[in-house]
Amino acid sequence: MSRVHQLKISVSGIRGVVGEFLTPNLAAAFAQAFGTYVGPGRVVLGRDTRATGEMLEHAVSCGLLAAGCEVVKVGVLPTPTVQVYVAETSARGGISITASHNPPEYNALKLFNRQGLFFNQYERTELLDLYHQSEFRQAPNGAIQRVATDTETPMKRHLDRVLAHVDVERIRARRFRVALDGVNGAGSVMSQAFLRDLLGCELHAISVDPTQPFPREAEPRAEVLDGLRQLTLDTGADIAFAQDPDGDRLAVGDETGRIFDNDDVLALAVECALSRRPGPVVVNLTTSAAIEQIAARHGCEVFRAPVGEANVVERMQAVGAVIGGEGSNGGIIYPAVQYCRDSYMGMAFLLDRMAQDGLKASELAAQLPTFFRSLGKMPYQHGRLGQMMQSLEAAFPGARTDRSDGLKLLLEDGWIHLRASNTEPLVRIAAEARTAARLNELLAVASSLN
Amino acid sequence: MGSPGSLRISQVGLRGIVGSGLTAAHVLDFSAAFGTFLGAPGKVVLGRDPRASGRMMREGVIGGLLACGHDVVDLGIVPTPVIQHSIRRLDAAGGISIGASHNSADWNALKFFGARGTYLSTSESSELLDIYHLKKFRFLDWTGVGKLQFDTGAIDSYIDDLAAVFDIPALKGFTILVDCTNGTSSLILRRLADRFGMRFILINESPEDRAFAHEPATNQRMVKMQLAPLMAHVRADAGFLFDIDSDRVAIATERGEAVSEEMVMVLLADEWLARGPGKIVIANLSTTALLEEVAARHGGRVERVPVGRQAAIDALAGYRPETIAIAGEGTGAVMLPAFRFVYDGIASMLGVLEAIRRRGASLSSTLSSYPPYSILKGEVPLESHRIPQMMHELERRYSQGRRNTADGLRVDFNGSWFHVRVSQTEPIVRVICEQRGDPPQALFNELMEFVRSYNS
Repeated sequence: MSRVHQLKISVSGIRGVVGEFLTPNLAAAFAQAFGTYVGPGRVVLGRDTRATGEMLEHAVSCGLLAAGCEVVKVGVLPTPTVQVYVAETSARGGISITASHNPPEYNALKLFNRQGLFFNQYERTELLDLYHQSEFRQAPNGAIQRVATDTETPMKRHLDRVLAHVDVERIRARRFRVALDGVNGAGSVMSQAFLRDLLGCELHAISVDPTQPFPREAEPRAEVLDGLRQLTLDTGADIAFAQDPDGDRLAVGDETGRIFDNDDVLALAVECALSRRPGPVVVNLTTSAAIEQIAARHGCEVFRAPVGEANVVERMQAVGAVIGGEGSNGGIIYPAVQYCRDSYMGMAFLLDRMAQDGLKASELAAQLPTFFRSLGKMPYQHGRLGQMMQSLEAAFPGARTDRSDGLKLLLEDGWIHLRASNTEPLVRIAAEARTAARLNELLAVASSLN
Repeated sequence: MGSPGSLRISQVGLRGIVGSGLTAAHVLDFSAAFGTFLGAPGKVVLGRDPRASGRMMREGVIGGLLACGHDVVDLGIVPTPVIQHSIRRLDAAGGISIGASHNSADWNALKFFGARGTYLSTSESSELLDIYHLKKFRFLDWTGVGKLQFDTGAIDSYIDDLAAVFDIPALKGFTILVDCTNGTSSLILRRLADRFGMRFILINESPEDRAFAHEPATNQRMVKMQLAPLMAHVRADAGFLFDIDSDRVAIATERGEAVSEEMVMVLLADEWLARGPGKIVIANLSTTALLEEVAARHGGRVERVPVGRQAAIDALAGYRPETIAIAGEGTGAVMLPAFRFVYDGIASMLGVLEAIRRRGASLSSTLSSYPPYSILKGEVPLESHRIPQMMHELERRYSQGRRNTADGLRVDFNGSWFHVRVSQTEPIVRVICEQRGDPPQALFNELMEFVRSYNS
């Protein structure tokens, strides 16, 4: 593993392998910088189910109290639920302790402003400067606030917002049989309540014990969801859902056990959202061109943003998007609930659509335009990305280019996107085409790059 | 940031004014150092006093200890002696007390205990300090981090063990006025009243997080201002004033007299030597010589050690436990080994009450049965580089007495003594002078003048 990668302190916050690299001392200092930045007031603190979460929760809480903030602990909760809570309770900001889809040895702090949004690039830079200057607000005894807890209301606040945008009675009447893989993550308890109690589904769930470690790779990729596939077939489920440890990403499978591409899940959600209310759509550069086709059916415009939730959200706010997301990594952002990736809104949209149309999950997916896609990666080396970008552009003379995040070449019958990962020492290469043959051609060019 | 004297990191632990000296970073580093010092993962008991900054420090201590793989057993707000007691009860690897004891509310501190529930020895705390300064902590990965646990039975288990040593039901007849100084003592006293029918009148009872009713010092001056004037009004048999974490106590008589802080140890030494004649009293060099007179009556002896908690802890390690009657200092911090080798204000209070009950006399008449000793205390600021020369000259001048140079210079004459030493916490020289009978004013003046002559 790369020497630089085990700890990363950047504009995205602080993230690393807990123990030797990400220490409670660093977490407390970063939290104190955060508390200094947002000012004295309430800061919401939640976490996912990682074994190191409790330890880091206390270290972060220490830093926040030292900066004179009041800490509101909401316990183990999905990240979108924390974000909704921050926005609803007029807190100064929020922190989720989660490394999202990363392996269990990692942890990280996700930082939210008073609207419950990821910090924008200016806020992120200011916070990082403050951290490096180490001139934190040091509250004396008279200014140190309390630690409050609220484990009762956050779930309801979030799910009430989600259910306001679907026809709950219509879904309940269908008594859908649903298979769920909760990865023993932060959504384990909440998803059961959501699907079984609120949406009246017959739920068959695996890996919904938040006290246990992740039983599979944390990122819900099709390759690691054999358990869910089997559960779907064994129980005759109508649809299958899988979450990541902090409940922002969603994977979906149909009644045949086939796990959809994340791009197709986003495309289905965009279809649902635009059917309810037309408006602009924002997706990242690596998301499928299927989104443009669906938006076109509704006469809506699609805007592209660099990869990263914060980038997509910023663009969504700027253009007044009604839905957005990142197809490449399974995130649906529906701002009527909150500007954040939200697996719950995704589940609700799909069930509602099945209830409305009387279609099977596989039939819904069959209505999507057909594309062939590939996501590849290779180790990052300094200087390599620039050379590869030059070679790629030379290989496709005359292609339209977008350089807002690496290099994306837009061709008549497909596209190819080369960029550096924000979170891992990787170069990512994504390509999409209308035919398998054309995709293979694009990949052949890509694999010749160095 | 960092006004002088607002942070002190030493073998006694970490102490400072929160926000202007002591920060979250110190708390994380020190608790991680302690977690590393303890080695193999085990349980660590944690408690705190009611200061608001304790909430912040608690979070940091838990984070640091869990990261080192230890399970933390949090007792919440409890007296320090209860934390020490729980370490043994829970078979823990150690413990941490968050609280600044007799300092004002803006201060806080971390105190560290080993597996026996006692303060770390000097060699242990030196190792802890080395780890702290090196900042190479033994953090475990995600498979090894500890878990937080809670324990709500600590106070009752502690009281169970107190009741095995002291005949608490026999103390029901006393009316006892207690100034809790808004610290932790009321948590124990209310349970003693509930369980054994003891009669307490508590003032400044509720634990406070921002400010205490008065400076939390357990000395004669504070008793005279806060407690003594109330004694006659409530017709109490005895009055006690606790510091915030309840490890020391000062007393007032039923007649409203503020008792010298030196007398807490004398009363308890007399009582415990009577129960175990011939045993040893461990006291520091600045504590009253009345101890020697009392010890002699019971065929016991006094071993004098340098001033400071650390010296007493180290000295105790060299004696067989059953040979010690009592250890402590003239500040009201006393250990009764019949209960535990722990500074314990609650046990001291019960000990004083048992002493007067056994004699069947009032507190004031018990105290007046001792020969009068007069003690004078003064201090002089002095530049550090002048100190060795001053001490050397002092020793030469008073060569006719019995000398002890374990901590500055103590010289004993017939019927009087003096002790000149340098404070461990401030750049000042302390002068203490005592005489059986009248105050040793001439000797005291002479010493003060001599020390001041180096201050130019």
